[in-house]
Amino acid sequence: MLDGILLEKAGIPAVSIITEPFSVTGREMASSWGVPEYRFLQMPHPIANLADAELDARADGLLDRVVWLLKVGQGPE
Amino acid sequence: MSTQQNARPPAPQEPADVIEAIYERGWTDGLPVVPPHAAGVQAMLDAVRLKAADEVGTIEARHTRITADKVAINAMMAGCRPEYMPVVLAAVKGLCQPAFNYHGPATSTGGSNIVLIVNGPIAPELNINARDNAFGPGWRANATIGRAIRLLMMNALNTRPGVLDRSALGTPGKYTFCFAEHEAGSPWEPLHVERGFRPEQSTVTLFAAEAVIQVQNDLSKTPEPLLICMADAMANLGSRNITGQSEYVVVFAGMHTQVLRAAGWSKRQVKRFLYDHARRSLGELKRAERIAGPIEPGDEQRFQHVTRTPEDIIVLCAGGAVGQKSACLPAWGSPEGSRTVTMPIELPS
Repeated sequence: MLDGILLEKAGIPAVSIITEPFSVTGREMASSWGVPEYRFLQMPHPIANLADAELDARADGLLDRVVWLLKVGQGPE
Repeated sequence: MSTQQNARPPAPQEPADVIEAIYERGWTDGLPVVPPHAAGVQAMLDAVRLKAADEVGTIEARHTRITADKVAINAMMAGCRPEYMPVVLAAVKGLCQPAFNYHGPATSTGGSNIVLIVNGPIAPELNINARDNAFGPGWRANATIGRAIRLLMMNALNTRPGVLDRSALGTPGKYTFCFAEHEAGSPWEPLHVERGFRPEQSTVTLFAAEAVIQVQNDLSKTPEPLLICMADAMANLGSRNITGQSEYVVVFAGMHTQVLRAAGWSKRQVKRFLYDHARRSLGELKRAERIAGPIEPGDEQRFQHVTRTPEDIIVLCAGGAVGQKSACLPAWGSPEGSRTVTMPIELPS
């Protein structure tokens, strides 16, 4: 989350992806950095015990939203 | 930069009403706090010769600056006496050290304590307990200095459960965890001297730890069996350290210290022995699915140690003179995630 915020502040397009139970924590971090409306993506928890094929499926499922957020960025939709 | 707890304490009322009002504002750790008032906060600031707006440090990852008034208010609410402030202030500066990496241990599901270990002459001067029940209740300085840090974390850094503290279980030491090394009872140089400070320089060492594991051995008269028990506790299969390989704090109480002293073992020997024995084979770790992958030839003879080096095992003495008990405290995370830091305690001249 923080990496994405810092990259965006440096002018580098970025997409932060966090697992769903951490959405509150992610939003608080964004607020701490003065970007409470910061857009980020969520996916189911956990990821640590996923096999390679499961991780690939996660990535495939997220791809369209990653592209969308890179295009939209943190400005107006 | 964000700041928290900007509202002033409520106007004086009946103490019980003020305590309730503070609960309603969410400024406690669940226990009642001392209602702060302007004169008391000023006394806290005077004890360290600081003004309210003076900057104490910054938690970079939280983008949050900590000012002296936040430290003073939380120390007063925790029940500190003003003379404890130099210790509290040094500990807060420790939280801000990049090597300690506050955001990791404070936020993680690992639920770490912030353990404060006090060395040097200030410990007896403030009656910071190093002996009986060193990790437990009964001493104001131990209880309130550790609590001041936790209250500051909650109130000034938003390190609240479910928000920026995502501990799965936490541990009771998160309310408070501060003790002194029993330097007079130790056969070795004290922790702060080992870490480069003069003996007369008081220090506080911050260690992000998981829960205490107590180790018992009431038969051993020689170091090896005693230390094998300790190493076994350190290397349990469920330990974070067995994969994270972060630091470990090992605390010997009086009777175990006597065994090591009688045998003439140096601290270095103790560390080396623990390092050599606190380990698990790759086969064990794979069967328990602590590390991934199929078991390969040679895995039963290849070992992972719980720390990367013997020096990552921090050895000290504390606790009562009776009872064949010692303890180990696994670190949170990994060596890259958080390192123990030792801060000098500056006394106003």
